Amino acid sequence: MEEQNKDRWVVDGQLALPYQYFAGTVGSHFLTSLRDRKKILGQRCPTCNKVFVPPRQTCERCFANLADAWVELSDVGEVTGVTVINYQEKYLPLPPPYALALIKLGGADTPLTHVVAGVDPANVKVGMKVKAVFADERKGSLLDIKYFTPA
Amino acid sequence: MTDAKQELITLPQILSIPQRFATGPIMGRFLRELRDNKRIMANVCPKCGRFQLPAREVCAICRVPVTDFVEVGPEGVIQSFDLVYYASPDPLTGKARKAPYTTTNVLLDGVKGEDTLWHLLNETDPKKIKRGMRVRAVFNEVRTGSMHDIKYFEII
Repeated sequence: MEEQNKDRWVVDGQLALPYQYFAGTVGSHFLTSLRDRKKILGQRCPTCNKVFVPPRQTCERCFANLADAWVELSDVGEVTGVTVINYQEKYLPLPPPYALALIKLGGADTPLTHVVAGVDPANVKVGMKVKAVFADERKGSLLDIKYFTPA
Repeated sequence: MTDAKQELITLPQILSIPQRFATGPIMGRFLRELRDNKRIMANVCPKCGRFQLPAREVCAICRVPVTDFVEVGPEGVIQSFDLVYYASPDPLTGKARKAPYTTTNVLLDGVKGEDTLWHLLNETDPKKIKRGMRVRAVFNEVRTGSMHDIKYFEII
């Protein structure tokens, strides 16, 4: 048994799965607008008159096609929900702790989820006014908005 | 907007999951012999006498624990081979493997039974590979206790 035990050990491994996320025609327009014009776009449903963000192909209420229903939104909004991330994972955008908030931008009816920084995460409250800060180097991802900061 | 010339965005990602594998005493012995002694050790079923490669806890036929080891190889004969042209991702890095590469099942010298060892062959020209050719295991200089301690098999 002694002889056998020295041969029990643990091998470290890694499971890596490369994949590509395709943003689609609607998502691509939203992302290129963030990257090239620093503009956050929403979509106004022609039937319901609701303005949605992040972008989608179809209105979730009446199934109207929203592919060409773009409207520009303000880069200032109001926090409608907030949580503090306290754990570390490689795929997360920032080292913890940081605040992840639902932010209802001016002109929109639905909130956008993003990071609120430049303030103690514990002090991010519902109702707080925040403003988008764009990354200097933008690559066509949601992180082209670096974070939101108190306005 | 939705016109044909629109730039379409894709975000390449590599999802990377750290994982750990407990060898147990039998696979552990097999890997240790590769690492420390450059020996390929099959284990032998006490009931039917089959050799298993790589060594496994239980005989796949008789379902009894298999604890006795015998050194086999490092030479053997090609039983079958495959040329792989698809650059599949390496699970350790997520990067595409260099293609084409060849995998082979080798019946090592001294093996009783039909169990072959599956590994790489350093020849990618199918005209130069035949079933029954003699091959030899080439070991890496730096060995860590893994199947990759054998670098590949080479045609003698």
